[in-house]
Amino acid sequence: MAERPAPIERPELVHAALGRASTADVARPLSLAEQLANVDPVRKFTVLLGAIVLWELYTRLAEVPPLIFPTFADTIVALWKGFTQYGLAAQIWTSLSILLAGYAIGLVIGGALSFIAVSSRFGSDVLGTLTSMLNPLPAVALLPLAMIWFGLGEKSLIFVLLHSIVWPVALNTHTGFMSVAEPLRMVGRNYGLRNVRYIAKLLVPAAFPSILAGLKLGWAFAWRTLIAAELVFGAAAEGGGLGWFIFASRNEMDIPGAFAGLLTVILIGFLVENVIFRNIEQRTVVRWGMQS
Amino acid sequence: MSAVAGRVRLEPVPRPEIELTPLDASRIGRIERPLSPIERLWNVQVVRNVAVVLMFVALWEAYTQIADVPALLFPSFSDTCAAIVEAFSDHRMMSKIWFTVSSLLTGYAVGLLAAAVLVSLASIWRVWADILMTATAMFNPLPSIALLPLAMLWFGLGTFSLVFILIHAVLWAVALNTYVGFQGVSLTQRMVGQNYGLRGVWFAVKILIPAALATVLSGMKIGWAFAWRTLIGAELIFGATARGGGLGWHIFEHSELLNTTQVFAGLFMIIIIGVLVEYVIFRTLELRTVRRWGMQR
Repeated sequence: MAERPAPIERPELVHAALGRASTADVARPLSLAEQLANVDPVRKFTVLLGAIVLWELYTRLAEVPPLIFPTFADTIVALWKGFTQYGLAAQIWTSLSILLAGYAIGLVIGGALSFIAVSSRFGSDVLGTLTSMLNPLPAVALLPLAMIWFGLGEKSLIFVLLHSIVWPVALNTHTGFMSVAEPLRMVGRNYGLRNVRYIAKLLVPAAFPSILAGLKLGWAFAWRTLIAAELVFGAAAEGGGLGWFIFASRNEMDIPGAFAGLLTVILIGFLVENVIFRNIEQRTVVRWGMQS
Repeated sequence: MSAVAGRVRLEPVPRPEIELTPLDASRIGRIERPLSPIERLWNVQVVRNVAVVLMFVALWEAYTQIADVPALLFPSFSDTCAAIVEAFSDHRMMSKIWFTVSSLLTGYAVGLLAAAVLVSLASIWRVWADILMTATAMFNPLPSIALLPLAMLWFGLGTFSLVFILIHAVLWAVALNTYVGFQGVSLTQRMVGQNYGLRGVWFAVKILIPAALATVLSGMKIGWAFAWRTLIGAELIFGATARGGGLGWHIFEHSELLNTTQVFAGLFMIIIIGVLVEYVIFRTLELRTVRRWGMQR
């Protein structure tokens, strides 16, 4: 091998030495406060605490009358009183049991409708037309009619809940089924899956993100409808449930009580959306790698 | 066989026992035939949809006429149509529709604006992102109609209370979806934007919004759905406690008078407005943007 030629010196291109870098520490361990601030729950919790402190300070310093805006402390006391004296727990149970009954029946009907729709083109047309017409109709609007048909009571509530659950669930399930990729369908047929087994083993898992979205939307609509319906019931007659608790507290000018009712509504909604549905998501679509 | 395959090509051994004799093609009949006009008509989506609607209307009319259902319980289709015509004969129905639509539009517009401000703040400062996420997690599951009794206390009976709860209905759904959509914009697209020297508002308008439009649109649709349901519910309650003025009140007023035919007429108008918004306005928006850009099927 030939000798390696020495590099040509180009003094005009060589930069004079810069000396020690005058920057401070390039990498340094984060302080404890900084480390804490990088943890998501810590920051969110701080925001929550900050909001509560602001609320308490505002109502105390500006001396807002509790009739307009009660302090946080008052609200907590009212919440405690609601549970111990005014039977808030029973009201929650009334609301939740109706909601669960409506949700369960709604799921069955929505599922049955989408199974019928997926088995024939005409069924799919019937479902498509029905959902596109009835989905934009707010379920509460049917409440006066339901009250004429079924009287005041659980039946009317469940009827309007059904209306608010069936259409979003059926619509999303059907769209999900329709957009299952052709190779997946072929795999199913290759395994000899037919009818119910084809739907249960192939279509449902493949369309699960869409189905879950429908379930969440159905829950959101049902929850809103239920509270609204209980408010209307509260206005029209003696009812029960959380919506009625808010309405009754407000009518008695017990505003801390109304705030306590709202807090309960928020807590339940938060639990269902961020604990129950989040868990289902983690265990199914996230784990299967269909959604991040 | 492989040893000689290179040079000598072996003739296939005739296996008459597994050979099929060709079938007589005339037994199969026509494989391809032109569709009859009825079949071609039936293949048009719109025709089938209209047929389904007509079928339901016919069933409804037949059921009410044959079973002699009292109009108090379930009015027939023809009665309902007559009621709609009657309601439109003077200006009451138009003014009710206008009342509903105008409060909806006001609430929706202000809600969108508030969501835009919140999301902009959240994309610039991390503190605001935390505030937005915490507030959304808390207020999104809170049905805005539950705030109505308080809103009535704070702002009195009137359009302002309605607009307040409509803003609450729209704001969180739109803000959450927009923010999540912005977070999901790929780094490559962001870098393209930075490469073009886009900053601040222009970066959002030209890069973030188009790239996240599918999510933003679905947030807007959910916001509209919540607002629409909230508004009708609120009008029902307003009707129960004081003079209101929209379509929800029309339903409530006539159900109190046991005038079920007019209730059906009100429901019809609500369905028509809902279908118009979801399947004309939002569908057109989707067709012209996310579907045309190939972001959504």
